[in-house]
Amino acid sequence: MTCGIVYAPSYLNHEQSPSHPERRERLSYTLDQLVEEGIFDLPQITLLTPKPATRDDVLLVHTPEYLQFLEKTSITGGIIDADTYVPKDLIHDALLAAGGAITGADAVLNQVVKNCFVLARPPGHHAGRSQGAGFCYLNNVAIMVRHLQRRGLRRIMILDWDAHHGNGTEEIFYDDPSVLFCSVHQYPFYPGSGRFEDIGVGDGKGYNINLPIPAGSSDKVYQYLLEEIILPLADEYMPDAIAISAGQDNHFTDPLTGLALTAHGYAGLMQEICILADSICYGRIIAVLEGGYSVEGGLPYTNLGLIAAMAGLDISNIREPEIYQDILEKVISEDALPQVIKMVSELKKKLSDHWYFIRRYDFR
Amino acid sequence: MFTGIDIGGTNTDIAVIDSQINTYKVPNSDGLENALSKISTFGRLAVSTSQPLNEIITGHTADIRTITIPGPGLVYPGAVKGAVSHRGDIVEPIDPNEIQKIIKGQHARAIAIAGKFSVRNDTLEKQVYDIVSQYYSDEQIAISSPIGALDFPARIHTTKFNARIKGKVVSLIRQIQRVNPDFYFVTSTGGLTSPSRALLNPMVLFHSSPATVANGAYYLSRNENCLVIDIGGTTTELVPLKDGKPVYESVVLDGSKTLIRAVSATSIPYGGDSCIRSELCPFRAGNSRSFGGGEPTLTDALNVMGARIGDAGRSAVLDHADAQRAVHQYLELVSSAVKEYHPHILVGTGYLAHYLLSDIAERAQTTGIVPEHAASANAVGAAVSKVSLEVHIHVDTERKRLTLNGLSYPYKDARDEEHLIAYVKELIRDIARKEGAPEEDIADIQVLSYSSYDVVRGWRVTATITDMILAIAPGISVEAL
Repeated sequence: MTCGIVYAPSYLNHEQSPSHPERRERLSYTLDQLVEEGIFDLPQITLLTPKPATRDDVLLVHTPEYLQFLEKTSITGGIIDADTYVPKDLIHDALLAAGGAITGADAVLNQVVKNCFVLARPPGHHAGRSQGAGFCYLNNVAIMVRHLQRRGLRRIMILDWDAHHGNGTEEIFYDDPSVLFCSVHQYPFYPGSGRFEDIGVGDGKGYNINLPIPAGSSDKVYQYLLEEIILPLADEYMPDAIAISAGQDNHFTDPLTGLALTAHGYAGLMQEICILADSICYGRIIAVLEGGYSVEGGLPYTNLGLIAAMAGLDISNIREPEIYQDILEKVISEDALPQVIKMVSELKKKLSDHWYFIRRYDFR
Repeated sequence: MFTGIDIGGTNTDIAVIDSQINTYKVPNSDGLENALSKISTFGRLAVSTSQPLNEIITGHTADIRTITIPGPGLVYPGAVKGAVSHRGDIVEPIDPNEIQKIIKGQHARAIAIAGKFSVRNDTLEKQVYDIVSQYYSDEQIAISSPIGALDFPARIHTTKFNARIKGKVVSLIRQIQRVNPDFYFVTSTGGLTSPSRALLNPMVLFHSSPATVANGAYYLSRNENCLVIDIGGTTTELVPLKDGKPVYESVVLDGSKTLIRAVSATSIPYGGDSCIRSELCPFRAGNSRSFGGGEPTLTDALNVMGARIGDAGRSAVLDHADAQRAVHQYLELVSSAVKEYHPHILVGTGYLAHYLLSDIAERAQTTGIVPEHAASANAVGAAVSKVSLEVHIHVDTERKRLTLNGLSYPYKDARDEEHLIAYVKELIRDIARKEGAPEEDIADIQVLSYSSYDVVRGWRVTATITDMILAIAPGISVEAL
C-alpha cells in the first residue's frame, strides 16, 4: 500500500493578489523538491488527480447562503476581510481544493492508497459554516470529514497543527462528539481563539481540545504534547480515520509566525502518527495542506518530510540546509516547555471527566 | 552529399545519398575501420553507434564509483557534504578532504558525480570533478548537470551509465574523425548531435537504431501512419509511426528510470542470424552458414526453401522440413506481435524484409510494402536526419541566472514571456547553428513546457522564476527532402 499525493497544476492557479503571502510560490519549491527527489517515480507513491467538489459536498458543511455568496462574488471579485479577498473565478479553485481532500479520502477508503497528502490551495481551516476568513474560503478538511461520515465512518479525529487556531473547524464540530477536534497552535495569536478552556458544548463537550503554545516552541514541545495528550487521546477515542490540517507555518523560518519546529521535527511527528494510525485505524490518514509561508527554507523540506514519513521512507536526512541554523537558535525559547507543561496540567483538570487516560494517570 | 552509417549487431550499413541513393553492407567481423575506409570524406556524415554501446551497457557490470551530493532530503548512497538549493544557491560547501579520501581509497574504472539541483548550479559538481580529475582522466568522469532535467535519482542512474560508456564514445569519436572531422552522431530520438555535445551526456547515443529505422522507413516509403518492421541479423524491431513520427518513451535500465528518451520499439530477439538447433533459438552463434558461419540459421532456412542469400549452397545441411518449421516459428512469433499494433500498413526494412514481409503481412492480415533500399533503411535514416536538441531552461531574475541544460548562459533582462522565449530560442538556434544545422531545420522551435511564478518577499515581488523545456524536434533534414 502506498502514500497518495493529491496534486494538479491548477492548485497553483489561485492568487488573491500578486504579492499576497498565500500565493503560488508556496508550492513551487515543494514541487521542485519532490520532482528532484524522484518522488513520483517511487513505487511507494501514487499521484492522484483532484476532482472538484460538488455543491452537495460543500453543503455538508457550509450554509447555502454562504456558498451563493462565494459563487456570486467569484464573478465580480470581492472581499471577505482584510487578508481574504475573493479574486475572480475563486469558486473553481476553492471547489478543487475541497474536492482534492475528498479525492484523497476516497482513495484511502477504497484502499487505492494507505494514506494521503493533499497539496491543495487555497487552505480552509479558518472557514466556518457561513463565512470565510484568514486566506480560507471553504473548509476543505471539514467537508472531507463529513464526506467520510457520509460514506459510513463513525468517528473521525482531526489533528490541526497549523500555527493558527483552526477556528472554522472548531465552530463546525463544536457540539459534535463524532468528530474529535484537536488543535495545536501559537497563542495568543491570530485569530485570537483557541483557549484550552474551550472544550466543546452539549454532546460535543470534551471533544474539542485546544493546545495553545507560546512562540518559540520547539520540536521538544511538540514531542511532549504528542506523548502527553495527542497519542493517548487518539488511542482512547479509536477514530476510524485521522484527518490532519497540515499547516507548515510552525517551521522556525516562517515569516508570519513565531514557532520553532524543524523539518525533521515535522517528519518525526508524522512518523509517530502513522505508527499510531496503523494500530488503531488501518493507517488511514488524510493530511490536507493549510498554511505555511516559509516558501524556500521551510515548505520544501517539511512537505517532503511529511510525504517521506507517510510513505515509510528513511527520514534521517530530512532537515533544512545549514544556512538556516542561526535563525533556529534565535527563534527557540527555552521557556516554552515549562509553560506548556503548566497548560497541560490545567487542561487535564478540565478534561478529566471526559477522558479515562487522564483519570488513570491521576491515580498513579 | 549525405552519408549515414548504422553499426548493427551483424553488419554495418552505409547509405550515400546525393542525386540517388546507394547502400552497402559491411560485415562487422571486418571491423569498423574497414567500413569507414569505404566512405568518402566529402559531405555530411552521420553515425548511429547504438550497437557497440549497447554491448557495454548490457554486458558485465563495470566498476563505477558514484559520488552523490544530496544535501537535505531523502537518503542516497555515496553521499558527500555539500548542497545546492532549489534556486541554485550553494547552501552547504563540499569538503575537499572527504573527496580526496574517497578517491584515494578505491580503484574504480570510472567515476560518476551527481549533485541534487546541480542543473540549477553546477559549481559543486565541478569542484568535485576538479579533485577527481587529479586521479582520473576526463573520459573516465561523468557529471550529471548537463543532463538538464530535474529528477535526482534518475540523473544519478543516467550519470553512472554515462561514466561507463564515455571512454568508448571518446575512442569512437577519434576513429571516425580520422575520416570526417565534422561528423554527427545519431541520438536515441533520431536527431543528430555534434560529438562534443554527445560527450556531455553520452547515453543519448544509446538505442539509436530504432530511431534510424523510423526515419529511414518514413523517408523511403513516405508513409505517415504505419508499423515499421526491421528484420536485422540479431533482432526484429517493431517501430510504430504516427504522423510520420515515432513514439518516444523513457529508457529504463536495470529496473530504474533514466533521463534518456528513446524511440519506442518492440524488440523480438530473433533475426536472420538466429541459429537453428532443434528449433529456432533467440540468439546468434556466429554468422549464417551462407556467410561462412558454422551453424544453420534462419537465413539458411530461407535458402533451403528457395532463396539465394549469400553462398546458398552451404545452407543445405538443413533438411527441408526443419527449415520450414524454423521459418514458420519465426513468422508466427513476429506476426502475432505485429497484430497487437493493428497496423493498416506494414513497412518492411532490413536485409530479410524482401523474403519475409509478405508472409508476415498475410498472417497479420494487413498490407505489407518493402520500399527500395529497405535493406539499409537504418543507414538511410541516419543520413537524412536533422540536428535536434532538447533543453531545460531555468531563469531567475533576482540572481540574474540562466541555466540551459545545467550550464550557465548569459542572462538577459526580458520584459515579458514573449521576449524571454524569443531570447532563449535564439540561444538554442545558436547552438544548432554552430553544429552546422541549416536555417530551415532550426526555424521551428517547440515550447514543450513553460511555467513561471513570482518570488514575493515582504509583500513585494522581488523576482520571477521561469522553467521551460524547448526543443528542435528530431526528424528529416530539409536539405535531404
